[in-house]
Amino acid sequence: MQPVECGDCGNEVLVHKRSLPHTAVQWTRSTDHCPELAGPDSARVPVCTRLRASIEQAVRDGALTVDDGGEP
Amino acid sequence: MSARSTTEGGARVIEAGRPPERYARGWHCLGLAEQFKDGEPHEIEAFGTKLVVFQAAESGRLHVLNAFCPHMGGNLAHGTVKGDAVACPFHDWRWGGDGKCAGIPYAHRVPPRARTRAWRTLEENKQLFVWHDPQGAPPPEGVTIPRIEGAFSDEWSDWTWHSLRVDGANCREIVDNVVDMAHFFYVHNSFPTYFKNVFEGHVATQYMNSAPRTDMTAADTVASAGDLRSDASYYGPSYMIDHIWVEQDGATVETVLINCHYPVSPDSFVLMYGAIVKKLPGMTDEMAAAAAAETSQGLATGFEEDVAIWRNKTRIDNPLLCDQDGPVYQLRRWYEQFYVDAEDVRPEMTDRFEFEIDTERAVQVWKAEVEENLARRAAADAATAGEK
Repeated sequence: MQPVECGDCGNEVLVHKRSLPHTAVQWTRSTDHCPELAGPDSARVPVCTRLRASIEQAVRDGALTVDDGGEP
Repeated sequence: MSARSTTEGGARVIEAGRPPERYARGWHCLGLAEQFKDGEPHEIEAFGTKLVVFQAAESGRLHVLNAFCPHMGGNLAHGTVKGDAVACPFHDWRWGGDGKCAGIPYAHRVPPRARTRAWRTLEENKQLFVWHDPQGAPPPEGVTIPRIEGAFSDEWSDWTWHSLRVDGANCREIVDNVVDMAHFFYVHNSFPTYFKNVFEGHVATQYMNSAPRTDMTAADTVASAGDLRSDASYYGPSYMIDHIWVEQDGATVETVLINCHYPVSPDSFVLMYGAIVKKLPGMTDEMAAAAAAETSQGLATGFEEDVAIWRNKTRIDNPLLCDQDGPVYQLRRWYEQFYVDAEDVRPEMTDRFEFEIDTERAVQVWKAEVEENLARRAAADAATAGEK
């Protein structure tokens, strides 16, 4: 997995993209400071759209490679 | 993660492992609360022992105690409710819902500190829950069963409820389904088109959209007749709330399903499921009950299909995954938090993890398979017509 920093809050997560539609995101700290996820029901929020935008931007910039050879 | 596995002459060796000896920490649903409110003690075989559930006659509260009386081991579930206590059938020792001995009619006095184990209970969504923690601690803050508004609303049907004992399998088998997109096509004749998981804290969620299987008759599939959206979360190790919206005849049918279980032994568990359906405009209570019953029948078929797989499969600790599979290892890492001591829960078990499957390839292959099935059936129908 490769690190990606959220352009909005600066939090860094680990991301693996096997294809453009596939995305795996591993958080390494609490979601308490994420403007979209923070709260008692963070687990029930499907996605932080700002982080999602940052991941897509990282793919466009070539900072995040789409890698089909990685582990499932 | 699968790289740790050994091979034998290049062939993958399955590590079956052994089911854990301990039982998960968490709230476990024992069934609809109403079924325990008949004035009788009820026996539940769970967590490697037996429990008694009874309703205190005066307070009306439901209580759960160890079934075996600490006096001479009588089974309280075969006794009688007397006032707010349950009486042992062996020597009439009385036990209150707090676990304290409430009286021994033939004795001058109750031995000091005579106490049995009282299990922490919770009534929510018209269901009864029991808290299990091998370390004996109360539930941490925020670890609770969320309220389902529909369960308390006249706009929804009552719960349907079924239970099924599964022998020869550890309850991890059913939890694995959270990430298993492909089995919905092959085992349940459904057609997933979108699939995403999120694990965080004690919650694990599956977001799934699926399309109807046009190659299946109603008898072949439990899948819906219309497009379906499902949003299902496990709250802790064993209680899943699944919100489902189905587009049908120009209306959206809203259903809440419960899929829950409690362990009996390391290799058996009781699986329970039920449904409530939101009444559509003009729907009577009877029609809503019929809709819920129909949904429940579909669920029953679905779980029977799962059980048929579990009865014949092996436990597997090192599944060999392909690129379209869901995050089985990460799900099991999340699930492990309930099987270790609270102080041994590692951040990676509870840190947020998201996984969205690229369904393009699967959808393409499944569409082709559906087309083939339709063509085969059309050809068979034509042949039958030709014979007449």
